[in-house]
Order: sequence, then C-alpha cells, then structure tokens
Amino acid sequence: MAKPPSRLSRLKSWPGWLLLAVVVAAALAVGVARSGGTRSSQERIDEISQQLACPICNGQSVYESENPTSQAIRTEIGRLVREGQLNDDQILMRLEQSYSGSMLRPRGDGVDALIWALPAAAAVICAAGLVVVFRRWRGEAATAPDAADRALVDEALRRSDLEP
Amino acid sequence: MLAEALSAPIGQALLLLGMAASLFGALSLTTSIRTKNPRLARNTGTYAVMALVGAVGAAVVMERALINRDFSLKFTQQVGSPNTPALFNFAAMWSALEGSILLWLMILAIYLFIVVRRYRKRLNDPLIAWAVVVMFVVATFFFLLAAGPANAFARGGPPNMAMCCRGPNPLLQNHVLVMFHPPLLYLGYVGVTVPFAFAMAALITGRVGEGWLAETRRWALFAWGFLTVGILLGGWWSYEVLGWGGVWGWDPVENASLLPWLTGTAYLHSVMVQERRGMLRVWNISLLVATFALTILGTFLTRSGVVNSVHAFSDGSIGAYLLGFFGLIVVVALALIAWRGDRLRAPGAIDSPLSREGAFLANNVVFALFAFVVLLGTVFPLIVEALQDRKLAVAAPFFDTMSVPIGLVLLFLMAIAPVLPWRKASAELLSKRLFWPAWVGAGALVLAVAVGADGFAPLVAFFLGGFAAGSALRQVVLATRRQGFAGMLGRANGGMIVHLGVIILAVALVSANAFTRSADLSLSVGQPAAAFEGHTFALRSIDAFSDARSKGVKAHVIIDGGQAYAPALTTYTGMGRTIGTPSVKTGVGGDIYLTLVGSPVAGGSTAQIKVFLKPLTVWLWIGGGLMALGTVLAAFPGRRRRRPTDPVSADAVRIDPPSADESEVVGVGS
Amino acid sequence: MLAAEADQGIAAVSRPKRLAPYIALVVAVVMALLFWVLAGSKPGGTERTTSHLLGKAAPTVRSTTLDGQPFDLSRRKGSWVVINFFDSTCIPCRAEHPELIKFAEQQRSFGAEGAELYTFINRDNQAAVRRWFADNGGDWPVITDDDGHIGVTFGVAKVPETFIVDPAGTVVVYYGGAITADQLSAELQRMRDASAAATPTAVSTASVSTTGVAANG
Repeated sequence: MAKPPSRLSRLKSWPGWLLLAVVVAAALAVGVARSGGTRSSQERIDEISQQLACPICNGQSVYESENPTSQAIRTEIGRLVREGQLNDDQILMRLEQSYSGSMLRPRGDGVDALIWALPAAAAVICAAGLVVVFRRWRGEAATAPDAADRALVDEALRRSDLEP
Repeated sequence: MLAEALSAPIGQALLLLGMAASLFGALSLTTSIRTKNPRLARNTGTYAVMALVGAVGAAVVMERALINRDFSLKFTQQVGSPNTPALFNFAAMWSALEGSILLWLMILAIYLFIVVRRYRKRLNDPLIAWAVVVMFVVATFFFLLAAGPANAFARGGPPNMAMCCRGPNPLLQNHVLVMFHPPLLYLGYVGVTVPFAFAMAALITGRVGEGWLAETRRWALFAWGFLTVGILLGGWWSYEVLGWGGVWGWDPVENASLLPWLTGTAYLHSVMVQERRGMLRVWNISLLVATFALTILGTFLTRSGVVNSVHAFSDGSIGAYLLGFFGLIVVVALALIAWRGDRLRAPGAIDSPLSREGAFLANNVVFALFAFVVLLGTVFPLIVEALQDRKLAVAAPFFDTMSVPIGLVLLFLMAIAPVLPWRKASAELLSKRLFWPAWVGAGALVLAVAVGADGFAPLVAFFLGGFAAGSALRQVVLATRRQGFAGMLGRANGGMIVHLGVIILAVALVSANAFTRSADLSLSVGQPAAAFEGHTFALRSIDAFSDARSKGVKAHVIIDGGQAYAPALTTYTGMGRTIGTPSVKTGVGGDIYLTLVGSPVAGGSTAQIKVFLKPLTVWLWIGGGLMALGTVLAAFPGRRRRRPTDPVSADAVRIDPPSADESEVVGVGS
Repeated sequence: MLAAEADQGIAAVSRPKRLAPYIALVVAVVMALLFWVLAGSKPGGTERTTSHLLGKAAPTVRSTTLDGQPFDLSRRKGSWVVINFFDSTCIPCRAEHPELIKFAEQQRSFGAEGAELYTFINRDNQAAVRRWFADNGGDWPVITDDDGHIGVTFGVAKVPETFIVDPAGTVVVYYGGAITADQLSAELQRMRDASAAATPTAVSTASVSTTGVAANG
C-alpha cells in the first residue's frame, strides 16, 4: 500500500525548490554586492604584478618572483598606483613598453586573440555537437518496439531457455 | 678504482641487454602471434626478466656511482657532489635528464615484468600477447633513448673543478620530498603504458568489446591514483618548501603532468558507460591513447627546452626522438581506429541527455576541452614565435580565467551525475533525489557569505561544491545503510569518496585563489608588533646560520604572540644562488605564509617580511588524502550480482513495484 | 544468427551522414599543426638583444650622485653619454669594471669631445658601491636610483647593461651583458662618424642601431 505523500515529500516538489532558488539568489546578491567596493592600493599592485612576467625568470610573474628586477618593477607599479593617474591597463601597457613580451595575459588583438578565440570556438562546437548528437539519438530511440521486434525477443528468450 | 672504471661499461652493457631483450621479445612474440606458433612465445618471460635486469641493473649501477661519489661519469659530475648527504645523492639520479630516463626505464621494466608474470598462462591469447608486444616496443624505445641521446654512462673527462661536482640544484637538496614526488609521479606516468598497450591490442585484434577493459580497469585506476598523488605532492612541495608561494603555477612542466591526468580522469568515468552499455568505445580508446601520447608529449616539452619553465632541464637532441615517438603513436592509433571503425560502432545509442550515459558523455567533452585549453596555453608561445618571431609569455592569468568556467561546469556535473540513473531520468525523480544535496549547497553558500566571502564565481563555486558534496554523501550514506562498511568499497562508492576529496580540493583552491591577502611589512626588533588583518607580527631576532652546503640569514617572527616562525634567505655555496625559504603557520582556517625579502643583515634590527594569509590551504592536502583513500577503496571489488538476471534492488518486500528511488543501489556489480 | 538479424535491423534504419570521419580529420589536422609547431621550435634563451629605447629620446633622469650632487640627464645634451647599470654583487658587473676604467681613460684622452660615463646603481647598497669604487678605482659619477625607477624606465632586466646616448638625447646603442672597453670605444667612434656624415635631420635614423651583445657569463 502506498503511503500518502507526506508533507515532506510535498515540500520536495516545487515549493521547496522555489524557496531554495530564493535563498541562493539572495545569498549571491549579498556576496556580489559586497565585492563591488574599491580595491586597496596593495590589492591593485598585487593584481597588476600578477599579470606581468618577470623578465629574467622562467615564466614566474613579478608578483611571485623575488629577484631585484621584479622588486624594482613592483615598486614602480606601487608608485604609479599611488599617483592615481593611470588605470590598471594603462599601467600594464606602460610597463609592457619597458619590458616587451612580459604581459602574461595575452591581449585580444592579432594573433594573440587566437588563444581566447580557439577555446571559445571549441566550446561552442562541442556544445553544438552534443545537442546535435542527442537530438539524433532521441529521434532514433523514439521508435517504439513493434510486433516483429517483440517476436524476435520472445524467440530469443525461448531459445536461451532451451540451451544448457 | 676498478669498480669505478667498470661502472660505465657495465651500465652501458646492461642497457644494451635490456634493449636487445625488449626488441627480441617484441619480435618473437609478434612472430608467434602471426604464425600462430605458441612455441615462439615461450621465451617471453625470459625476455621480460632480462629487460628488468637491464633496467634495474643500470639504475643500481648509477645509484652506486652517485652514492660512492664516483666522478668518472659525466652524469655524476653534473649532479653528484662530495657534500650532499647520501640520501639526496640517491635522489640526485632523477634531478637531471639522463637519470630521469633511467628511472622511467626501471619503472617501465617493473610494470612489464609484472604484466608478463601475471598473464603468463594466457600469452596464447592474441589480446594479451599484442599488449605485451606493445609494451616491449615502448621499452625498446626508452632503452634506445637511454643508450643513445640520453646516455647516462658517458664518461666524463678529468673533473673540471670549477664546473664539476656541485651537486643537484639546491632546491632539490633540502627536503625529503625529492625522494617521493618524482618516483610517485613516474609510477603514474609510466603506469599509463599498460592500459594503453591493452587498448592497442584490442584494436589490433579487433576485439574492441569489453574484454580488454576488464583487464585494465585496475591498472588504469592505480596509474591514475599515483599520478594524482604525485601531482599533489608536487603542489605541496612548491608551496611549503620551494617558496614559490602558490600550490600550482601553470608552469609548462606542471601542465605536462596535468594533461594526462585530465584525459585519464575522463577515461575512468567513460569506461563505465562501455561496461554497462557498450557505448563510447571510440571515446575510451581515444582517451587512453591520448593519455599515453600526452605523457610522451609532456616529456618532450619538459626535456627539449622549447618552453621556458622553472622546472625544465633541457637537452637538445632528445627532443627530436620524443617528438618522433609522439607522432608515431598518434599516426598508428588514428590508423588503427580508422581500420577498426566498424567494430567500434556501438550497438546502442544514448536515449536521453538526462541520463548517466549522457552525463558521462558531457563529462568526456568537458575534460577534453579542458585538456585542449591547457595544451593550447602551454604551446601558444611556440605558435606565436613560429608565426611572428616574437616572444610571448602565457601564464596563470590566462589559465585561471579559462579554468573557472570549466571548473564550475565540472562541479555541476559532479552534483548531478551520481543521482542520474542509467538510460533515462524523469524530472520528478531528479527533483526528489537532488533536493537535499541542493540544500546542502545552499547551506554552504550561506555559510560562505556569512564568513565574508564575496565575488560571483567563488560563491557559485561554493554553492556547486556543496551541492556536489551533498550528492556524493547521499550515495555513500545510502550504500553504507544497506551494506555497512562494505558500502564504501567498490568503484562507485570509492568514487564518491574521491569526489568528496575533489570537492574539498576545489573549494580550497577557490578560496586560496580568490581570498588570499598579502602585505609587505617592515619589522624592527623591539618595536611593537605590526598588525595585519587581525594577526600580529613581531620580529624577535635576525640570525645567521650555516652548514656544509648552505648559509644564510633567518628572521624569527613571532605570530600572534605565540610561536616564532623563521623565514630565511638561503645561499647554497655550491651554486651561488640565494633562494627564499618560506615559513608557514598552518591552521584549519588558513595558513599564514611568511617570506623574507630584501637584504637583511644577520644581527641587524630590521627585516622586510612578506605575509600571505591563505584561507583553507590545509584542506587542499586533506582533500588530496581523501582522493587517495577513495582510489584505494575503489580498487576493491564491489558486491557482485551472482547472476545477471538477479534483481538489482536489495530488498523487495513491497507489494507494489519498487519506486525508482530504491532501485538505484550503488556498488553492485561494479 | 539472431544477432545478425538484429544488426541488420539496426542498420536498416537510415543513417544520416557519419560525423566520425570529420572528427578524425579535424583531430589529424590539429595534430599535424601541433607537430609542425613543435618540430620547428628551437630551445630558446632568455637573452635580450634589443631595447625598446633605441632610436627614441632618452627618458628623463633626475637623481643625485653618490656624493650628493644633483644629476639631470637632459642637461648632458651636447655630449655623448654612456650609461652603465651596475650592481656591486653581480659578478659579470665586477668583471666588467676594469674595462670601464680603461674606457674612461680612453675617453679622457679625447678631452672635451670624450663621452661622459655614468654608472647607475639600481637599488644597491650605497656603502658597498662606495667601497667597491674605492677599492677598484673609477672616478666617474655614480648615480643613485633608490627605488629602481630609472632602471625600470630603461627596461633593465639583468645587469650589467649599457646604453649610449647621442648629443641630441637619443638612445643609439644598447648592450646587454658585459662589454669591453674596445667594443665601447669602437661603437662610439662609429656613432660619431655616422652622425657627422649625416644631415642634421637624418641624425636620428642614421644613428639607430640594434647592436646587442649577449655576453652574459
């Protein structure tokens, strides 16, 4: 005998999910609003220096590397940040002039854009491929078994019962 | 003296022995299969033993030379030193190119021997035989490398005292992890060869059904497990010891170890679809071939010096061999897959995207995309240099931006997939099963916001992480409720524990990346403590220290009025380089990470300290440990259904048909 | 038998064109491209052979010498200026030092026409530099750069680096790494001859040179 749906299981259907959506949205809103403040100077310096490669290290960023050149670059970034005249991108461009090829985040122009474009294109192609394939498979599986199919299966079961 | 004079010829002779044995083993076994003459396969065991003796013997000779400070070989002159303690001299073998190839060979020969021994009664079966042939071929290639371009036993001339015998890179001498990280990583890397060999054998023999999968399930799992532990140990080493500040730097060598891990993870999941429903065969074979090919490609990237890395040890000539081998593997695999295309076509199709097969297919695609992105980022500097002849650096900013959306999708899949049944799921079923996990996610989100987290992507990650943890816990709870402790064994349950470990790791990574705060502090002895984010830092003293291999300056900093932590600047006398050694205060909520910068003077009164507050970092290691535990649990056989027609559900006391809820029993038949 | 019938049944369902060959083709092409890129790349070094300042006006430099005298690069216009970036703990810099002494003497023999040599110390310990110059000679001005700003503006990555600035204030020569006195003098002479031969308006283009000597020890 089936139990009547309890209050709890009734909660599990749409009212419960609606409440969940509200809670999640509210928490996200609070959290995201909190992050919209201005950054401190140190945070700006850290963020900018994470995007520049140390010119003589093997791929470490200016933020991580401790050699004198990196320290000098960090001091320079600190000076420009405290001056307050330039935004992050402009500071990066200024330092890129002195140390060419050191920006760690490839720009979006020219050949460099490929590094962003190719993954985006691949993602789109993969998603589209999945959609196409699923639709095709659903179409193929939509055929219901007909009488001939059922006869086939009955025959196979009968034979397998006979075999040792 | 005699022993010294002999070590080079003995080493080379052993390598040649191994090469000949592998070559003859491959040839004789191939002939045996083609001519259907089992007698020719009789000596396979002997060949495997000879290859083992060759590889292990060569490694032993090299270790002996290093420990006994035999400087007649060029290699020992490069990495050996009279001052290094014996333990680190032992590990010096794999600190440079030639010795690391010896390590690879040793592990490969051991795996080869175990495979041949384990299947010795079934070498007549063409599937097993071809797998052994492929392993012999791979072994021959590496013996060729060791005897040719990466010759470890080349004689050095009379030692040039300026350059000689300074020991391995000092970073490889100051911590015992150097004994564990490379060998464990190699156990994983090289271990992928075994499932790959079986995949090739399946293609060659045309038996691409489920037989070869059954043989290789545990091999793949163990190789993956070792690779995981190896990568995590590397992260721990770079964080605690090397002072690079982070756990993962997206350095090309690190990426080289991550790439096979990504395709290997996809493979481990996707095989379940093939076992259950015979589908995704081409995916599985491709993923396995890709995993092995990526280990070779990764070795090429790190050994050829084409990419700039803090890790790489470069030697020009070996690159061509490795790249050629990589090309050969890809071409042969593509040809075989094309040849066997017919048999690889699955008898069925995935009915609905909202099913476990659908989720695993999506999983494959996402992991493949992730691997593509990591590979692209790693070789992009080379592409740009080839096209425009200018230097470009691609590092953490690119990879972090790319891995955030991919990571979120993976967390979502981890949340949904464990509750999805095979074949088809209804929305009602899903809403019932996912309800409590979703509330766990909401709880995690609210907790994070309450503790002060901000930022859209981290918060979504916390929500999805809680959601996925809820799903995994639900499965574990259901299984242990039915089967007691045995409910934690077997692939599905062990897998859920691995998922829990991954989720903890992901949450810790997100916290460390998004919420680390740092400050530069200038501390003086006797001055009041500097405060930063609720912690106080006081300088007690600056001391000099020195021992046989290094000297330096240490600053003793008292954190929060308690214990003193001493970051240092160490100069290794042999190398003349100064390296920062961090000091870390580990806590459950987060780590306080100190490094000493500037040029402090021993006995002086001021020091510049850089302080990092890294939340939840210790949970990275806890999550990693859970992953390792889960891997071991997954290796156990689950409860098997005795006959395929036995009912899937555990109990059937109901009169009405069992609800879809309870017909999902985990751990059975896996 | 039954399996064959079943297979036929499935195959009888009309199959739209297969994706597989296209995917295989794409994979093969990507692999080929990857192979081509990797095979063509050479192990790279990190030596810098050129500077972004070549052919451009030298940046403003205002600082003080070790003795406390003010220094302004723009006021040196009208003479050739050689700028050397130095650090007392850097071994190639110390090895280069005698060559700089020789170069300074060679230039002194030219009298007023000689180039002026300045050493910039990049965030270095001033007492150590004073001691070094006292012990090893060298009487040309040493300019301080306490926060490393001048070094960063010049794009100095790894000392020693040397720049030559012409009388118009344009950077004309860059050396990355240690140099010898003869190299410097010869280069300077070449620059002098080139600028004397060229018309005033073409001075800047004629004096551009991308000489770079990567001679790091």
